[in-house]
Amino acid sequence: MSQTGPQNQPDEALLDLLVKQVTEGLSPAEQRELDVLDSATASSYLRELERAAAAITLAGTARAEPPPAALSKRLEAQALDFLATTGRSDAGNKVVDLNRPAKVAAPRAAAWQGAGWLAAAACLILAVFGWVRSPQPASAAEQRAALLARSESMKLDMSATKDPAAAGVSGDVVWDPLTQQGFLRFVGLPQNDPKVHQYQLWIFDATRDQRYPVDGGVFDIPGNASEVVIPIRARLPVRTAKAFAVTLEKPGGVVVSAREHILVLAQAG
Amino acid sequence: MSSSVLQRIARGDAAAVRECIEQYGGLVWSLARRLSRTPADAEDATQDIFLDIWRSAGRFDESQGSDKVFIAMIARRRLIDRLRKATAEPPMDSADALESVAWADPGNSPEISIEAEQAMRALAELRPEQRQVLELGLLQGLSQSEISARLGMPLGTVKSFMRRGLIKVRDFMNIDAPGISAEV
Repeated sequence: MSQTGPQNQPDEALLDLLVKQVTEGLSPAEQRELDVLDSATASSYLRELERAAAAITLAGTARAEPPPAALSKRLEAQALDFLATTGRSDAGNKVVDLNRPAKVAAPRAAAWQGAGWLAAAACLILAVFGWVRSPQPASAAEQRAALLARSESMKLDMSATKDPAAAGVSGDVVWDPLTQQGFLRFVGLPQNDPKVHQYQLWIFDATRDQRYPVDGGVFDIPGNASEVVIPIRARLPVRTAKAFAVTLEKPGGVVVSAREHILVLAQAG
Repeated sequence: MSSSVLQRIARGDAAAVRECIEQYGGLVWSLARRLSRTPADAEDATQDIFLDIWRSAGRFDESQGSDKVFIAMIARRRLIDRLRKATAEPPMDSADALESVAWADPGNSPEISIEAEQAMRALAELRPEQRQVLELGLLQGLSQSEISARLGMPLGTVKSFMRRGLIKVRDFMNIDAPGISAEV
């Protein structure tokens, strides 16, 4: 690793950008400037500054208040759902394990207001149940079919955009607003190299700011698959899904998509 | 076999998930409240951060730092991303949110991490105004321009204090643990 001597310290202009990135983030123009100046030394230095900022943050957070109980339950359900859908026990860099998608929850008659909470609880129970009791969970395609049979579910056809990577792609989205579960089905979506790009789903919720759709999860398309079914992993509750879009992003996905490569769209109504 | 909660999560240990939320939920929630605009935003941010933690758990290497600093790094990144993409309103400034800004006492805080202790020792060597700039920027989420306006201090001075303060802490941490660089 780097020495702490000045010979390895970035120059002042670069250092100012790195400090700003660590403390408040960069504007797009500053980010472009940093991209031009960036180097292995700068990246390493950035991580060290991030670590220093995190240490100061910890030092200044001597009193931590526990999160609300309902939030803790949602966090736990989200985590178990995530681990179940990614088959995390042997995850490595695999983002989506097509053989171990989320289980489809049993129908519930709850009003929408409690649906996210109930869905989370259902995911928790089913995810744990799946780990302990079900050595051969239903395939994603079977679970999609089960979800599609539910009266609350919606099915939207996907249409390819003019992006060259989307040529000939078709498919659909099945989404159940009550349980907040869903599946994407693709035919013809090209295999991706996860080290270069990954696909990311975005869900446009009519009740949220349209500039910031809900992240529906990052996924990969394997080779030699004529049809692929991907479980949806919405980061946040989706109250009124009005559209679904898949973009091509850097590995790991992004917080806000630049929408440079929108490949497929599915719109409600 | 390592007992790191993050490494256990990476192996798919459901019990470790609960342990992680129990151990670090308060930290993440406190940071999210401090650096979010509304309580609802703070809840969304906390979920975002934990999802990132589950995704990143496999990259945690305990030889490169503690679970706690790894989680704080992820939390800070996510919160800064969220602040940047939101409108230009400042984060919550309620007394509630800022109550959680409390400096650790290295000798008397049994749960303080080694990295936080190192930071406290470095901060003790800074002038009060330098330390104030770091507190406003890192703990209260103010931008350098906002700090400049609030303290009536030239922007260049704010930048310089921030830069020197961070480098001081970074150097302390590298002196205590040469060769360490946490990959997140």
